[in-house]
Amino acid sequence: MTVALVTGAGGGLGTAVARRLAAGGHHVALNDRPDRDVTALARELGGIAAPADVADPVAVTAMVEDVEQRTGSHIAILVAAASHISCGTFGEHDLDDWWRVIDVDLGGAFACAQAVMPGMVERGGGRMVLVAAECGLTGEAGASACSAAKAGIVALTKSLGRELAPLGIAVNAVAPSVIDTPQLEARAQAAGVTAEELRARETARVPLGRIATPEEIAAAVAFLTDERLPTLVGQILLSNGGTLRSRA
Amino acid sequence: MGGRVALVAGAAGGIGAAIVRELAGRGWRTAGLDLGPVPDADHAVGVDVSVPEQVHAAVRRIERELGPVEAALCAAGHYTIVPVSDIAWSDWTRMLRVHLGGVVNVCRAVTPGMVERRRGAVVAITSGLAIGGGEAEAHYTAAKGAVIGLVRSLAAELAPSGVRVNAVAPGPTDTSLLPSDSPWRRPSFLQTLPTARLTSPEEVALISAYLVEEATFCVGEILSPNAGAVI
Repeated sequence: MTVALVTGAGGGLGTAVARRLAAGGHHVALNDRPDRDVTALARELGGIAAPADVADPVAVTAMVEDVEQRTGSHIAILVAAASHISCGTFGEHDLDDWWRVIDVDLGGAFACAQAVMPGMVERGGGRMVLVAAECGLTGEAGASACSAAKAGIVALTKSLGRELAPLGIAVNAVAPSVIDTPQLEARAQAAGVTAEELRARETARVPLGRIATPEEIAAAVAFLTDERLPTLVGQILLSNGGTLRSRA
Repeated sequence: MGGRVALVAGAAGGIGAAIVRELAGRGWRTAGLDLGPVPDADHAVGVDVSVPEQVHAAVRRIERELGPVEAALCAAGHYTIVPVSDIAWSDWTRMLRVHLGGVVNVCRAVTPGMVERRRGAVVAITSGLAIGGGEAEAHYTAAKGAVIGLVRSLAAELAPSGVRVNAVAPGPTDTSLLPSDSPWRRPSFLQTLPTARLTSPEEVALISAYLVEEATFCVGEILSPNAGAVI
C-alpha cells in the first residue's frame, strides 16, 4: 500500500482528493492546520491525521518524519492542496495576511515537496501534484495574493518537473477555476454577494454551463498520480469547463 | 453486445491501435477508421480520413452496425522531416488535409448526433511540436497547430450542448512514424529530455481514455505527455 500525503485535507478539494486516493487503495495521511482536526475523516478513510502548519518548514519536516514512522514507509504521493483563502483589494489587503497566502499556498507546496523528496528518491520515485488555480494564469481583481501564489505554483511545478524527473519523481499541477466547495462561501462573503449569486455569476462564464464539483477535480489529481504515466512532467492540467482554453 | 461505441480514426497506427486496445479493455466497442486493416477493432472501415464523403459513409455504417458514437478519437496522421524550402505544395496540402481535415471530417460526421443526444467526447491527437515548434517539419507543425485552434474553438462551441472536445499533444512517441534511424531516437537527443525517454503509445492511450471517461470538466484542454520536452 502506497502512502499519499494530502495537505489542506480538511478543505473541500482536499477532502475529495483524500477520499479518491483512499478509494484507489492508497494509505492516506491527511494534513491540515493543528486547529482543524481531520482525525474523524482519517479514521473513516483508514488513514492517519498529520497536523502541521505547512507555512512552517520545521513543522512540515517533523510531520513528514512522523508520517513515515507511523506508516512504516516513504511517502509515494504528495498532493499540495493547502490554501489560505483570503481576498482583498490590493491597497487595503492587510500585509501580514497577504504574505500568509503566499507562505501557505506557495511556501507550503515548496516545504512539503522538499520534505517528501528524500523519501521518494529512496523508494525509487514518486508523484507530486500541486494545486494551482485559474487566477494564477489570468490574474483576478481583488485576489492579488492568491493569483501571485498560484502563478508561483505554476512556475514551481515547471521547475520541479524538470529537476526531479531524472529522479523518477513526476511533478505536475492542476489549475481549476471555481469549485463548488464550502470555501466558495468565504469567497462570496469577501465579494459582498451571496454564495448563490457567486455560483450564478461563475456559471454564466463557463461554456459547460456549471461550476466544477470537488470530485471531478479530485479525479484530475488522481490521474496525475498514476504511476503508469512517467511521461507527464511539469504540466499544468486545466480543468475549468472551458473558461480558459490556453496553454499554461 | 453491450458497451458504448468509440470511433478511432487512424486506428492502425501506433497511437490509434493503443487507444483501441485501451478502450476495448475498459468495455468500449471500438470502430476503427484507417487506410489499412485494423485487426484489434470490433468494426473496421477502410477510409481516407481526408475525404469527407468517405468519413461520413463510414460513420453512418458504424452507427448502423454498432450504435451511436459516444467518443471519437482522431489519431490519423503521417510525419516527415523536411526543411521548409523542400516542402512541396502537394506535401503541404496533404499534411493539412489529413491532420486538420481528418479531425474536421470526423467531427462534422459525429458531433451533430452527440449534440442531439447532449452527450459525447472528442479527443484529437496533436503534437508537442505544435506547441514548441520544430526544426524541419513546418508542414506537420502547422497542421498540428491548426488542430489545437480547431479543438479550442469546437470546445467552446459544443460545451453548452454537453459535448467535450480536448486534445493530447505527445512528444516524440515510440511508434513506426519514427524509423529506427530517426533523430528523435538518438541517445544524444533523448538525454536532453528530463525523463530521457520516448513517450509510449500506451501512455497516450491512457491519457486519451482519461479525457473521454473522467475529465468531465476539461473543455478545450491540451494534455502534454512529452517526457518533459515541452514544459
